[in-house]
This record gives sequence, structure tokens and C-alpha cells, in this order.
Amino acid sequence: MTVHEYPARRRRVWWLRNRRYLAFQLREAGGVVCALYGLILLNMLIQLRDGESAYAAFLNLLRTPPMLYLNVVLFALVLWHALTWFMLIGKAQPIQFTREPLPWKVVFGINVLLWIGVSGAVVYLIFGGM
Amino acid sequence: MADSEVVFRVSRYRPESGGRPTFQEYRIPYRSDMVVLDGLNYIKDHLDPTLTFRWSCRMGICGSCGADVNGRPRLTCGTYIRDMRKGAVTVEPLSNFPILKDLVVDFDDFLDKLASVRPYIVRKDWGDLSKEYTQYPEDVDAYRQQSLCINCMLCYAACPVFGASPEFVGPAASALALRYIRDTRDDGAAERLARLNTKTGIWECTFVGECSVVCPKEVDPAAAIQTLKFLATTRHMRRLLMPGSASR
Ligand code: SF4
Ligand code: FES
Repeated sequence: MTVHEYPARRRRVWWLRNRRYLAFQLREAGGVVCALYGLILLNMLIQLRDGESAYAAFLNLLRTPPMLYLNVVLFALVLWHALTWFMLIGKAQPIQFTREPLPWKVVFGINVLLWIGVSGAVVYLIFGGM
Repeated sequence: MADSEVVFRVSRYRPESGGRPTFQEYRIPYRSDMVVLDGLNYIKDHLDPTLTFRWSCRMGICGSCGADVNGRPRLTCGTYIRDMRKGAVTVEPLSNFPILKDLVVDFDDFLDKLASVRPYIVRKDWGDLSKEYTQYPEDVDAYRQQSLCINCMLCYAACPVFGASPEFVGPAASALALRYIRDTRDDGAAERLARLNTKTGIWECTFVGECSVVCPKEVDPAAAIQTLKFLATTRHMRRLLMPGSASR
């Protein structure tokens, strides 16, 4: 008698099976979006090199409603990417500063505060003198 | 005494005929203290002796009774029917594994992966075997969490990375590797990290984290993998910067 083994299959649309899978997929999408942001910024530099009118045209394009909506979505994904990684830092603590591992929420809080601090410093450096 | 009925939708796969797995429904008497495994055993004993599934200890120790219950990998002996959402209890074989029959999956591949990380104490020199190898409570604490693994494979069923890349060594094998690497009596860290510090080893993991959510023993394999990534990286850097440095 031949016995057939049924091959292993990953479920289709597995990432819709629970909220955690979906959160993970959005975090990964956020990674791609970070790269996309990088390309937009690079393109901005190219336009800047090409002269004032090219740069102004590019800025005007960025101000059109479709680009603004797109940027809102991209920004939300980048935020999600950053926040969810901060959440994970505390869940995997290869370096322990204390005898017992710190609760992940504490590590998350410290990272968010540092993030706000560094972002504030960068904003001040760029716009502070204005 | 049974006060009502519950419907079990159980996945059936008949290896003689092949084809796709299908669902079969059974109505069984329900008591509030029943676990899913009790329901399966009721079916086997009273309704359909051909239904095939694994179990042994009925107390969350042997790790053999895992199945996808209402879409999530669980130990059927540790899952109360009353905690399932109202309606039918759907029982399927663990995702990501080939099916042998009904709820029984083929785990040969998992055993090979486990063997590849040498889940036992490795020593360069066993020395005097009549002597005791003393460990202090904090030495045991260092690996206690990972040592709780019962090889139930729920973490593999929950891992979409393993589902997409079956060659991935996976959560439990990694956690057990860390368990022995952290053991003060062990000298096998280098061999284990050589296996794990590869594309099909720990670097395949993208930290979905669901393995740690479904683990019934709180082994936290996701954290173990991240720790191994850190160990493998620091080791690699040490080798680059200080050739001939310590192995652990
Ligand atoms: S790590 Fe947890 S879920 Fe995975 S095999 Fe071990 S006990 Fe089961
Ligand atoms: S029967 Fe042993 S763990 Fe469930």
C-alpha cells in the first residue's frame, strides 16, 4: 500500500491570522518605506544640484495633495517601524545591566525618551539659529 | 455529568487515498472541566476509532499533543474547551509540518535540526567521572528558562519564517542550543555557534515573536535567538580583533 504524506504548507495570508502577525508585516513594510524615504531625499539632493527651478518644482510636487497623503502613510509606517523595534529591544536583552532583566516597557520608555531627545537636538541644530 | 454538547471540527487526512485534508464534524457531550484532548479521546472511544492523534502524559510534559486549535498552535491537553470562543472547536494538525495522518505530523526534520545543535553537554575532556561537577544556583538560573522546553514544536507551527524556509533551524533548536551554551559544564559553544551562525541558522529569524507567544513553557525562544545573534556577533568580532581569544 502506498502511503502519501501531505506536504507541509504555510497558510495563505498567514499574516491576517492574528494582530501580532499583522503588526509584524506592517513593521517589515515600514522597513521598505524607510528605504523609499531615503530615495526621496536622495532625489531631493539631485534636484538641488540641478538648480533652483528644478528644486522648487520638486518641492511643489511634494506639496500636492496626493504626495502629502502618501507622505502621511509613509510617515506612519516609519513611526510604526521605529516604535515596534523599540518595543522589541526590551524583549531581547542580550546585555543585562541589572541582575534581573528590566521589564520591556521600561526599556521601551527609555528608548523613546532618548529618541525624542536626539530628534529634538537634531531639529535644534538645523532650525535653532533661525 | 454532561450538561450540553460541543461541536468538534477535526481535520482528517487519509494517507492511503491522498487528496487534501477535509473536515469532519463530531458532536460530543460537554463538561466545563474538559480539555480539547478529552474531546478527541471521546471521539476516538465512542464515535470514530479511526481518528488519529498523538498524546501521552495529559499534563503538559511530554509535548506530543500539539495541534492547531481554532487556528492557534496549542497543547490539546492544556486547552480548556470553555476557554475557546463560543461555537465549534476546530482542530487541525500543526501548521508548517507534513501530515502523516489526521492530526499526526512528521517531525523527522525537527529531530534532525535538534541533533544538529548537539542538545547535550559536550566536553573537551571528561576527566575524572567520579568527581562532581558543581553548579551554583545562579549557574542553573542562567539556563533554567531554556531547559524547560518540552519539544512540542508549537513554536515551529507559529513561525512564518519556518513556514516559508523549512531549512531554518527554528526556535526550539536555537533555544536548546543556548541552554547548553550557557551551561558552565559545557565546552560545545563553538560547534553550536558554527551551525547557528549561518543563513539557515539564527540569521533567518526576523523576530516575528509568535514562537514565544505560543510556547506553553515560557521558554521565550525568540529572545534566545536574539541572544545567540549577539553571542555569534561578539564572538566573530573577538576573533577578528583578538585572534586566539577564549571560546565562550
Ligand atoms: S520552545 Fe516552547 S513551543 Fe517551542 S518546542 Fe520548546 S516548549 Fe514547545
Ligand atoms: S499529552 Fe503530554 S503534553 Fe499534552
